[in-house]
Amino acid sequence: MENIYRRFNYYSLKPSLRGSLALLVVLVAIIPLLYVFLSSMQLDLQGWKDLWTGRLPGLLWNTLSLSILVAIGSAILGISAAWWVTRREFAGRRLAIWLMVMPLTIPTYVFANIYSNLLEENGWLGRAWHLVFATPPPELFNLFGVAFVLTLAGFSYVFLLVQDALSRSQQNLEEAARIQGATPFQVFYRVNLPLLRPAIAAGLAVVVLHVLSDFGAVSMLRFQTFTLSIYLQMNGRFDFQAAAGLSLVLVSLSLTFLILERFFRNRQRYYGTSQASRYKPRKATAFETSMIWFWLGLIMLFAFILPFAWMLAWSWDAWMDDLIDEEFWGYVRNSMGVSFAAATLTVIAALPVALYHARQRHFVSQSFLHASSVGFVLPGPVIALGILAFVLANMPMLYGGIIVLIVAMVVRFLPLAINAQESAAQQLTPSIELAARSLGASAIETLRKVTLPMIRGGMISAWVLVFIDTLKELPATLILRPTGFDTLPVRIWIEASEEMLELAAPAALMLVIGTLPIIWFLMKPEKSTS
Amino acid sequence: MNKCLRLQFLSILSLVLLFSGINSAFAEELVIYSGRSDRFVKPVVKAFTEKTGIKAIVHSGSSTALLNKLKLEGARTSADIYISNDAGNLEKGNELNLFQAVNSQLAGNIPANYRAPNNHWVGLSARARVLVVNSKQTETDFVQSVFDLADPRLKGKLAITHSSNESYIAGVTVYMQKAGEEKTKTWLKGMKKNVDSSVFNKHSKIVKAVASGKKSIGLVNHYYIYRHLDKHPDAAIKVFLPDQGKEGMGVAWNVAGAAVSRYSKHKVLADKFMAFVISEEGQKLFAKVNREYPTRIGVDAASSIPAAGSYKVADVPMVELGRKRNATIDLIESIGMP
Repeated sequence: MENIYRRFNYYSLKPSLRGSLALLVVLVAIIPLLYVFLSSMQLDLQGWKDLWTGRLPGLLWNTLSLSILVAIGSAILGISAAWWVTRREFAGRRLAIWLMVMPLTIPTYVFANIYSNLLEENGWLGRAWHLVFATPPPELFNLFGVAFVLTLAGFSYVFLLVQDALSRSQQNLEEAARIQGATPFQVFYRVNLPLLRPAIAAGLAVVVLHVLSDFGAVSMLRFQTFTLSIYLQMNGRFDFQAAAGLSLVLVSLSLTFLILERFFRNRQRYYGTSQASRYKPRKATAFETSMIWFWLGLIMLFAFILPFAWMLAWSWDAWMDDLIDEEFWGYVRNSMGVSFAAATLTVIAALPVALYHARQRHFVSQSFLHASSVGFVLPGPVIALGILAFVLANMPMLYGGIIVLIVAMVVRFLPLAINAQESAAQQLTPSIELAARSLGASAIETLRKVTLPMIRGGMISAWVLVFIDTLKELPATLILRPTGFDTLPVRIWIEASEEMLELAAPAALMLVIGTLPIIWFLMKPEKSTS
Repeated sequence: MNKCLRLQFLSILSLVLLFSGINSAFAEELVIYSGRSDRFVKPVVKAFTEKTGIKAIVHSGSSTALLNKLKLEGARTSADIYISNDAGNLEKGNELNLFQAVNSQLAGNIPANYRAPNNHWVGLSARARVLVVNSKQTETDFVQSVFDLADPRLKGKLAITHSSNESYIAGVTVYMQKAGEEKTKTWLKGMKKNVDSSVFNKHSKIVKAVASGKKSIGLVNHYYIYRHLDKHPDAAIKVFLPDQGKEGMGVAWNVAGAAVSRYSKHKVLADKFMAFVISEEGQKLFAKVNREYPTRIGVDAASSIPAAGSYKVADVPMVELGRKRNATIDLIESIGMP
């Protein structure tokens, strides 16, 4: 069955509306990459040699080992949590799902800042550590510290995607396997895992891409990855060529990784029928409930409750000192406005690329997809500079306006939106669209009446994911914001680097609170299916 | 769908226009790119606005990032004033031809050592690179010079910042000018052994660590020590001014300063701002909020810090901090300082 669909190319190869729209989006998305290419071409042979022998080995090791550690950590936390909340019905299950997603509202640099404070000798964790182990608390300023912080900040992506896939997986497959005599482990390994593979791969891809492009945590914790080194090259030494050279290496690294991920995802595709019954979680025993809550509680404690309590405590101080003034609410408005516009625009821009690739498999659609991923694999500062250079050279009247910042954000988070929408489109059986076409609906009508309503969930999660990321976005905002235009992340950055924690905490708190309704929106479809 | 899309595009477009409208409302205001802490710059700007009625927008960020921005923007920049915490950045901007000269009579109020020879930037407040010492111990009593920090006796007892800190780089530049590259190299190598790759990311944390006894001695800017003493008056720390002997090179200074952007569209306002920060009133405000030394002669620093002129200062012109910065970074990197 699968092969029939794969071979059946039901849209022709002739230039379509969706294809040309996709091309337009891709052309904008690759601007920063072109900038990197052009700048690195000015790097002479000696420059490349210096990079290869001097910096690269250490950076490669740091970046790769960090990515692997965070991927492992996120997989363990995300998959285990997703499994329990979809396979067992227990008291407080919905609360647990909520709390598992909440860490997404906390930016990595806030995590880094909070944990380095908590782990100081007189910090909450520092003192607790001293009581238990009677040794000084561990340092965060190393590989494991950074991996810890980035895992807490990122595992929710895996959780979200795996949980979604698990709750939509169909019971009949598992039942059939059990009837055939498979053990529960065999069911997991041979039925669930292959079905989950796209979700796990997509989740881990998002996590690793966040690690590769993370600027906030690594610069606060001074762990030299590619992104930090590129930023320091540009900003400390004004060496754009070396920075571009490093970016180019980073891009090839990330693209290799992305192609690998695609490979794993593409090898198998499964379509279900809508009649099959969804999985109904079994009621948990008392023992199971307490075990589940112990494990989930432990994750939540570190990933959300502790940081949140810290923010509340410091914000309270700020509130008492009357530090929350009109200016502060201005930052909140700026942040919300930019993120809202950027998320909406990103989802719209992602749609043609995602659909084009989901429905038409050929060289062009593949390369569009990979080209549009470039936004995610380039570090934020490089994207910002690429857009900046382009705008200054070609459309200087736009410079200094908010539109440039929003376009940079769209370029940066486009792959996230494409990923989410495309995996939704992939799960949609092509036969439904074929049916609509054969009943005489035009392509646009099919899109409007069939495809879009059915991938609505994917579009909503794409919007939410992008909104959350744009709300936290730091490096591009630092570079491209209009004069005097401060967002919450920018303020957090400025105050935290001056150690004005009572000013950084309320801003971080507002990020969490501002994302709450969005998360509620994201979780709503889940409610209707249960 | 088309209709729906168009509607969404329109709403976004209007949102965008709204925002860009806000942006262009700034037209007749002075725009200041500031790489210095907001809490030090904002009081100065506020006083300026109160005095002259000129409104100003402070666009804050890191000194180097803002200089980068200035460079990329070129003639399109909206910046009128650039403020940096580090003479290195100011001189770098001068080399990149991003500034324009301040009226030489006005600039003349600041000693030549603390401004660019072409007056394209002026230093406004100076800070000293000093040692913070834990007063409960005596094992660091032999230290007279910053070069003694490389002594193996200090293994595990020394606290320094990571080597991309601007003040740290500026300090090393001064030592390299006074003592030569070889001596500085040996010194850095010794310090590297002493700190054993565990460096601090903040000066304030160095002071904290020395006060708690975790480390015995640290290299910091002077005001961090006084800031700590504000909160903890009984802290077991003291200030030590290094390199004071007859042969000593003196304490390394660095200045924070300001420049007028070459492409300023409000040159008149920008000149007024420079006149204000160089005036006695502006000088007091600019330096005192952070207990730094006003660079203008005759304006006193906060009384709690060692008076300027009461100790020896390394006589390296501040422009050198910019001119020699890349050489310093190269040296630091060749040793692999953390």
